[in-house]
Amino acid sequence: MAAAITSPVPVAWYPTLAIFMLAIGLVVTASFFIYEATSSRRNRSLAKELTTGALASFFLGFGTLFLLLASGVYV
Amino acid sequence: MRVKGKVKKSGSNLLINVAKPEELPPSLIFHSVSLPKALGEGDSLTIDVLAVFTHALRPFPEEITQADIQLVLFQDTAHYLSPYAVKVQSLTVKLPKARIETYTKLENTNIHGSDIKYGPYENLPPFSYAPIAVHFETNQPFAVAQELVREIEISHWGNVQVTEHYNVVHQGAKSKGEFSRLDFQARPHLRGASALRNLVAKLPPRAHSIYYRDEIGNISTSNVWGDPKKTELVIEPRYPLFGGWRTTFTIGYGLPLQDFLFGLEGKRFLNFSFGSPINDLITDNLIVKVVLPEGSNDISISTPFPVKQGQETKISHLDVAGRPVVVLEKTNVVPEHNQYFQVYYRFNKLSMLREPFMLISGFFILFVSCILYMHVDMSISKSSPSYLAKLQWDEVRATIQQVVSIINQCLSKHERLEASLHDLSRTGDVQACKTARKTADSLFKEYSKELKPLLSFLQSSPQATQILPKVEELVAKEKELQERLIAKHSTIVDCYEKKIGGRELENRVASHQQKVVALKQEVDDLLDYIEEI
Repeated sequence: MAAAITSPVPVAWYPTLAIFMLAIGLVVTASFFIYEATSSRRNRSLAKELTTGALASFFLGFGTLFLLLASGVYV
Repeated sequence: MRVKGKVKKSGSNLLINVAKPEELPPSLIFHSVSLPKALGEGDSLTIDVLAVFTHALRPFPEEITQADIQLVLFQDTAHYLSPYAVKVQSLTVKLPKARIETYTKLENTNIHGSDIKYGPYENLPPFSYAPIAVHFETNQPFAVAQELVREIEISHWGNVQVTEHYNVVHQGAKSKGEFSRLDFQARPHLRGASALRNLVAKLPPRAHSIYYRDEIGNISTSNVWGDPKKTELVIEPRYPLFGGWRTTFTIGYGLPLQDFLFGLEGKRFLNFSFGSPINDLITDNLIVKVVLPEGSNDISISTPFPVKQGQETKISHLDVAGRPVVVLEKTNVVPEHNQYFQVYYRFNKLSMLREPFMLISGFFILFVSCILYMHVDMSISKSSPSYLAKLQWDEVRATIQQVVSIINQCLSKHERLEASLHDLSRTGDVQACKTARKTADSLFKEYSKELKPLLSFLQSSPQATQILPKVEELVAKEKELQERLIAKHSTIVDCYEKKIGGRELENRVASHQQKVVALKQEVDDLLDYIEEI
């Protein structure tokens, strides 16, 4: 018997997920840029920069995806 | 033309093929039906044959004015045209209205209301033919979609989007003379009885985001209402269609994925209806395009009737190579063709992650370029005085940041010391207090050792001459604060040991306490000032 296939994430969650992920992503982006602006050349740590950037881009990427899905652009 | 045979009792469909026997006249088209089991001598079988003919009614007169009624001519044979001998046969022509202009009068012809009955005729030879013509009134607008393109786009994130482009013509009697809008709206049944006013479409239930537009923009003359079994859409074109007039429009709607996509043994398949959802519309040329998500492979289709297949690619949102499109074409499509067809394909679940991964890598490239910009030194002259001054100022700032962090650590140790005093007042444990003071002492000594090289660097660099006095003041005040705090701490511990309490304790501690508070304030102010640089 054939089973109906649905989306991996419930469709009703799309707007909530979009807002939360974008909010977290923007907060991490803000912390990234604050670190860039206030640290001096000697004290900067490349590892911290890269991890903050990676975390921010992960949340921003998923947030943008769910934002597109919530607004009807089913990519 | 489509032929479907069924046995009355069991209701099963029989297989039909187009046959081309050599000894029979070539101007006729023959279809052969496979019977469920062979008929022996004396056996009988009941077969129902359904055949639908398009463009079979001819408007006569071919051109009418707005006030005329529409009359059409139907030509057929009263004797059943068959390669077999016919024993008994009768023909009933069912007309939409009782208004008949003329009809051929053969023997045994009767009229009952709006039905004309020819027959019964007996013992007819094979290929007997008796032409009849019926000329009658019908005010049906013969709506014909000359070209219909249906695009069905599947997104595994939960939506099936259907977009239909119509090119609709009124193929009844052509309109001649002028069109008077006033007459049409004042007396619609007398002036414009056969005009096409609206089209009714039956969409699947739970359809959402329905739109009806054309090249100009949105068309607002439409209505939707839905129930759990279907969604009914009534659309009116921008102008009523008279004979020969045409209009083009686009309808789009979205459907939930779980109603149409199913999985079976590793393969997924889409179960969708083939023809147009609009009632009473025939299509001369129907093209159905099924757009599958990127990464689908092993595609095959299954339709209940023959169609022409093709494949192409469509590039859509967040696509790298494009999405595979299955193109099905059929001519002469009637509402009886509105049956379900299936498209089978394979899809790896991980391919869905490709889309968020593209977005994530896009943002990551942005951040990496920011990091590169901050790290790369792009000044043109490396020995100019302003460049060197900037380098030195960077070093000074870094050193000051380190000094500030050490001072902050000292301040947190002060808090710990105060906390130990509170513990003492609670528990009375003098020994623990003494050990806390000892550890604090050793930590302070370490901090002052760390501060020494930083301070000497600041003293040697010319850029720091302005900020240096403040920093030195900060360090000095902090040291004083340390000493005061230690003194206060030892006083209190002494008092506890000697069991002096209350008023005496307060007096001894008072002066220390005042100084401590004042110094703390000054240290905080200095820290704020330095951090603002």
